[in-house]
Amino acid sequence: MIRAPLTKALSLGSSTSPIHKIAAAAFRTTAVTAQIPAKAPEKIEVFVDDIPVHVEPGTTILQAAAVAGVEIPRFCYHERLAVAGNCRMCLVEIEKSPKLAAACAMPVMKGWRIKTNSEKTRQAREGVMEFLLMNHPLDCPICDQGGECDLQDQAMAFGSDRSRFTDINHSGKRAVEDKDIGPLVKTIMTRCIHCTRCIRFASEIAGVDDLGTTGRGNDMQIGTYVEKLFLSEMSGNVIDLCPVGALTNKPFSFAARPWETRKISSIDVLDAVGSNIIVSTRTNEVLRILPRENEEINEEWLADKSRFACDGLKRQRLVAPMVRIKGELTPVEWEGALIEVGQKVRAANGAVAGVAGSLADVESMVALKDLLNRVGSEAVCTEQSFPSEGSGADLRSNYLFNRNIQSLETADVALLIGTNPRYEAPLINTRLRKAYVHNELEVASIGPKIDLSYRHNNLGDDSNLITQICNGTHPFAAKLKEAKNPAIIVGSDLLARPDGAGILANLQNFAKGFKSTSALNVLQRNASQAGALDIGYQAGVEEAIKSKPKVLFLLNADEAKVTRDQLPKDCYIVYVGHHGDEGAQIADAVLPGVAYTEKTATYVNTEGRAQQTLAAVSPPGLARDDWKIFRAISEIVGAPLPYDSLEEIRDRLDDIAPHLIRHGHLEANSFQTVAPQLSAAPSISSGKVSVQQLSLKDYFMTDPISRASPTMAKCIQAAKKEGEKKAASASC
Amino acid sequence: MVENKLVLATPEELKQRNKLAGTIAVPKQVNIAPITGHPEEHVKNRRVCISRPAKNSMQSGTNNLDYWRIEFDNRERWENPLMGWVSTGDPLSNMEVEFNSKEEAIAHCEKNGYKWFIEQEEQAKPSRVKNYGSNFSWNKRTRVSTK
Amino acid sequence: MAKYLGLDKVGKLFQIIQQSGGLRAAYKKLYRFDELKIGSLVGTDKYGNKYFENPYYFYGRNRWVEYAHHQNMDYDGSQIPAEWFGWMHYKTDLPPIRDGARVQHKWMASHSENLSGTKEQYMPYTTTKPKYEAWDPKKK
Repeated sequence: MIRAPLTKALSLGSSTSPIHKIAAAAFRTTAVTAQIPAKAPEKIEVFVDDIPVHVEPGTTILQAAAVAGVEIPRFCYHERLAVAGNCRMCLVEIEKSPKLAAACAMPVMKGWRIKTNSEKTRQAREGVMEFLLMNHPLDCPICDQGGECDLQDQAMAFGSDRSRFTDINHSGKRAVEDKDIGPLVKTIMTRCIHCTRCIRFASEIAGVDDLGTTGRGNDMQIGTYVEKLFLSEMSGNVIDLCPVGALTNKPFSFAARPWETRKISSIDVLDAVGSNIIVSTRTNEVLRILPRENEEINEEWLADKSRFACDGLKRQRLVAPMVRIKGELTPVEWEGALIEVGQKVRAANGAVAGVAGSLADVESMVALKDLLNRVGSEAVCTEQSFPSEGSGADLRSNYLFNRNIQSLETADVALLIGTNPRYEAPLINTRLRKAYVHNELEVASIGPKIDLSYRHNNLGDDSNLITQICNGTHPFAAKLKEAKNPAIIVGSDLLARPDGAGILANLQNFAKGFKSTSALNVLQRNASQAGALDIGYQAGVEEAIKSKPKVLFLLNADEAKVTRDQLPKDCYIVYVGHHGDEGAQIADAVLPGVAYTEKTATYVNTEGRAQQTLAAVSPPGLARDDWKIFRAISEIVGAPLPYDSLEEIRDRLDDIAPHLIRHGHLEANSFQTVAPQLSAAPSISSGKVSVQQLSLKDYFMTDPISRASPTMAKCIQAAKKEGEKKAASASC
Repeated sequence: MVENKLVLATPEELKQRNKLAGTIAVPKQVNIAPITGHPEEHVKNRRVCISRPAKNSMQSGTNNLDYWRIEFDNRERWENPLMGWVSTGDPLSNMEVEFNSKEEAIAHCEKNGYKWFIEQEEQAKPSRVKNYGSNFSWNKRTRVSTK
Repeated sequence: MAKYLGLDKVGKLFQIIQQSGGLRAAYKKLYRFDELKIGSLVGTDKYGNKYFENPYYFYGRNRWVEYAHHQNMDYDGSQIPAEWFGWMHYKTDLPPIRDGARVQHKWMASHSENLSGTKEQYMPYTTTKPKYEAWDPKKK
């Protein structure tokens, strides 16, 4: 508090620490939003276990029970999937009804009295359970699902202690051959109870109709029919969905039991969506990553790279500071490395530049910028470039996904320009697909022909199409103008082109005439980009190269955008990061930072929502928090940064931009209407609109963590093999 | 009505009377950290996360999630050189205190002088009326092709 | 009378000095072992340690070892080989050189002292894979 500026101290008043205040304020805002009354016309009243509930007509019994706080056991029903009604576990008794009803599929009628706990209901559940267990192997001790298995739990509640099934023919329990559906999902099909959740997920959410059932009755099997890999960027979610251990996590198999692991809530940073995750750790290792429910971002899904790239955190790590001695990077002590770097920075006399890469967090970027500003340099940039003409990165609405992810569900017309959301942001693509399925969304794309997992109209890959749309000469422009909830999604790589400013300006002018103000969205690909632009980084490495630095800091910059030959001969390159990749290879000094599972740090996602990761494991070897490294260098340089703890650096973030410490909250963007006035209107040069990630094999390795991951390497192999197989079958 | 005693009282007596009357005001914010015996380092340097347990995405049950808990931040763990087991010097690494409500948890943290933050706010679940019939609708994209 | 005056003690001192081989040698012995004793030499092991016995001293102090000269001050109990260990600890009254029943085989390993605290001490090392694989700048 002593270090906080006077104005803040006065405005806060009391003697509590700022973090208290911030959290308290955050709490208050939600309380206000919660008070907004829900729409309440024509609700019908039903009674669940004599608890009266008012629900919308058409609601199923199971949903009505959930409103009343009664949980009905289920296997096949899943909130986010279509109703299947085939497991019969949710049978409930309805008063004055002769037969039991499947709660997941039966809509409630006015005045129904539903009994979810009656003798008859219980008997029905026990019966279903007995049939399920008849053919389910009793291999819980060697099953990876053990401990987090729906069947195990419900068998405890409704299972009988003995079975009436006697194997009179001595044919044994039903057994099914295991299927090879890829390097991520392990199948033990004998355990399958045919809930068909995986099938519904694949066809509804992932949009690949690969899984299905064959056969009937006892011979029914879930599979791909012909041997085929289930390759989707969302395939890991079927592991979560499977209520038994039929589909399990292959890299995690036989690694740990769920009750042995520590679970830490965190944020994924391998794409710009900022999915909420739970990091499961044991013995100081990240074992697996699971999605955490967040309706506004990832619902309860997680993309495969985010889920399975965590084994890359254990490979290619920088564990000790290194300095180039006689042309070789040699491990040294922290003191030696810091003094060396400090002396170089001092000697550079202000000719210092910094480049932040895709995995940099806001705290360390702020520390780097403050350090550089203190030694008299302004050249701090991001690797990913963004047009600086016009209002450039000065207006947040220019570079953010202005329409938040959740509201994409309500979109009715969407235009994708130079982006492939399926691989750049899989969870945004699932939202688009959700709108496609449930809201009749019409999608068109400008760019190469790609498979988006839903049907869309590819307008072509000519840049002139953008001009035509903005002129209104293209027929699709009219559709966008008439739409109630239009969305234009522009890829950040498209804007990195030399004429990016022109594209942005034209689209902004075009979007002015729309019925919704936040129709124009920029889809970032890096978790760091929005945060970097928020705190005043310049986009693109040109600025750093132009300044002819004597010392160049690379903060997690691994895209090889800066090379040796672009820099002066005597330039001293300092790499701060966690993986030995492109950046560390060209560096003269390597200072080991920490990865996202090892630090408590802030990231801003493509919507502009600040979220924080929590440290789940300790950093390996001598690695230290990135911002602390810059703090230490500043001490040696003789311009100490004014923060020593996480709270103090968060105070600094608060000074720069208060939204950065309001974790989880989305600030509304204004200025969408002002932006076009500020923009110069350069034209769009002709040429092709390209997309970097075209097919699945381009998806898996995009950053130092996933490049170090053996699982991701296996995925690429599998995707390539599958592609070859497809090509071979097409040619013959 | 005038009370004789009050009128005749000296200023000192009045002061004494005022002191005795009514209740004792306790400052609203109580910080018991100095007397709990909780090491200062763990009060001042730790961040407390107030959160609800997240639903395990591997399971559909939600029964044991309806409480708030406080957890301390993760501290360093290291590998024991003899056996390779993982050690920690953090006495609070396994501590998790459960509360019925967020307010209780906050009050507890304030009382003990911890720096706290709330991990995830409750979000209203968008309700979507589900319908078995939509699997078979002939003019909607919800029609199921794969079974 | 001599006993009363303690002259026998003086006599014994002279005897000890004599047996030790002069004043200098006696001083060295006192310096090394912090005590001076007189006794009969029972035997010498192959490392040069000399074993003495004198029933004049109390049980427990009547058998002792004078470690080999080259050990100087670096002697320690584990330098006594196993065969003399039994005699030193009163497990047997027969010193190994006089005990004919002792078996001798070719394959019997020679005695080794406890090497803790020296350069040759045993150092445990981990046999498990490191959890984090460090980046090696030389490997491409």
